Amino acid sequence: MTPVRRVLDTLYLWSGYVAAVFLVAIAATIIAQIVGRFLGVAVDSTETAGFSMAAATFLGLAHTFKQGAHIRVSLLVGLAKGRVRQALELWSVGFGAAGMAYFSYWAIDLVYYSYVFHEISPGLLAIPFWIPRLAMAVGSAILTIALADEFVRIARGAVPSYEANAETVLAGPGDD
Amino acid sequence: MDAGTISIILFAAMLGLLASGLWVAPALLTVGFIALEFFSPAPAGSLLATTVWDASWNWALTALPLFVWMGEILFRTRLSSDMFNGLAPWLSRLPGGLFHVNIVGCGVMAAVAGSSAVTCATVGRMSIPELKKRGYDEALSIGTLAGSGTLGLLIPPSIMLIVYGVIAQQSISRMFIAGVLPGIMLIGIFMGYVMIRTTLDPSLAPRETERTTLRQKLWASRLLIPVMLLIFVVIGSIYGGFATPTEAATVGVIGALVLAWWSKSLNRASFMESLMGAVRTSCMIAFILGGAAFLSIAMGFTGVPRVLAGYVDSFDLSPTMLLVVLTVLYIFLGCFLDGVSMMVLTAAVVLPMVKDAGIDLVWFGIFTVIVVEMAQITPPVGFNLFVLQGMTGRDILQVTRAAMPFFFLMLLGIVVITAIPELVLWPVQWMVAAR
Repeated sequence: MTPVRRVLDTLYLWSGYVAAVFLVAIAATIIAQIVGRFLGVAVDSTETAGFSMAAATFLGLAHTFKQGAHIRVSLLVGLAKGRVRQALELWSVGFGAAGMAYFSYWAIDLVYYSYVFHEISPGLLAIPFWIPRLAMAVGSAILTIALADEFVRIARGAVPSYEANAETVLAGPGDD
Repeated sequence: MDAGTISIILFAAMLGLLASGLWVAPALLTVGFIALEFFSPAPAGSLLATTVWDASWNWALTALPLFVWMGEILFRTRLSSDMFNGLAPWLSRLPGGLFHVNIVGCGVMAAVAGSSAVTCATVGRMSIPELKKRGYDEALSIGTLAGSGTLGLLIPPSIMLIVYGVIAQQSISRMFIAGVLPGIMLIGIFMGYVMIRTTLDPSLAPRETERTTLRQKLWASRLLIPVMLLIFVVIGSIYGGFATPTEAATVGVIGALVLAWWSKSLNRASFMESLMGAVRTSCMIAFILGGAAFLSIAMGFTGVPRVLAGYVDSFDLSPTMLLVVLTVLYIFLGCFLDGVSMMVLTAAVVLPMVKDAGIDLVWFGIFTVIVVEMAQITPPVGFNLFVLQGMTGRDILQVTRAAMPFFFLMLLGIVVITAIPELVLWPVQWMVAAR
């Protein structure tokens, strides 16, 4: 494995791990809210849980993509073979990369302007909005990198990793 | 350009992007972008970022990853392998014997796994060989699995109902409560069908003679009963108004972890697998919902939904006819799309129409989910059919023929909830009244 390959794969996997931490954080803030209610302390988890949700979603994008868990209509693509198949995969991944690059640009723009204008979340915590929005910018940028990376791999003749890694429906927990 | 032309262009773009293999969420974002950039004066880029952001930290959505995680944990316990042995002693003396294990097993697994293909595969892997060995009819065995596997979409805590609640802006608690009776009703219809078939033709199922004591029964289902209790507590706390869906889901996750620990199936590896599995599933769905939120805002700017709704209005369909048309549409879409995508794609146009027709949106959610269930077992592309085809080694025609009666039984279910909408709505009204 080349160093570049290793760095990129680590990036996708670890952003997935960070997403997992945020998923646990949703549960943790809810537990704090429930416990707080019993103790008579008002803990409002609307913002923290919501922001954790957003972070878990966006930071998990690249990992989810690499593992083949994003949904697509594979009816036509699945029928194509050889060169045609490769061309179709290149189109999907290439178009996806361009689209996500555009999205990332505007996500970064949103972070920048919420920082400049000191936008603050409407709840009790009044968190500056640029912090949670950063997760959207970073996550979509990592997905853009993953798509571009995949484009290069497929162009070199590799099997798309979202196909190679995809869980088949019948593979259960015990038999892999 | 008039709205009719715009809608045709957007529809063609959506079809082209999806058919070419682009992932669903980017396809939704792209069509939304086209709508804004070319057919409205609104700034596409900044609307894109703010709309997707607003959709992604939606409070109602936070229940989703937690319920998915709860299912992933329970799925990795011994529960799935114990399902058959745990249920068989309780159900074997009914007419039709162990066929009912397929149905009830799917019902329970459905509440845990949340995905019909996984439900179908998990229960089927244990029961198909066992039923065959004992001389049960193969077609009916495949059929019961195909039909009941889809119950996962309806029985709470169903991911599908959360998704619908988010896009239709209906309370998720209410959606869950509304799903309970129709879910039980479908199980009842399936079990009734099996009883009638096996009574008319006793050669379909052998008579089970083995008697077991209550003690043996309880021992065989020692993992099953706690899981059912956990589901009951989760749903009950929502019903009783003690907890929001997100809080109930958190309790569910903790309960699932305790059960997994107790049944000695919790370790570092299985914990991480369940967590990462939950990250992937909820990320996939939340991304699609973000794309759908942007698309529906963009469509709003073009005025297309209003025009389309007016167009449909001009046919002057009665609500019943509208439902018939939508049923056909969804079953058709189900040939290409999975349930979540189907619901999300049509929401921007269908929901305003349904609302205009005076149809209750909670009721419509349950209706849609049952129709999506039917779509899962319709050829040429019904997901559950593929799963069963792979598992049994029979060709798709045989599997389809086995599943067909259950397609019509679900259609019967739809007719029943249309004729008696109270089945869906009463529990919701009781819940509201009790508060």
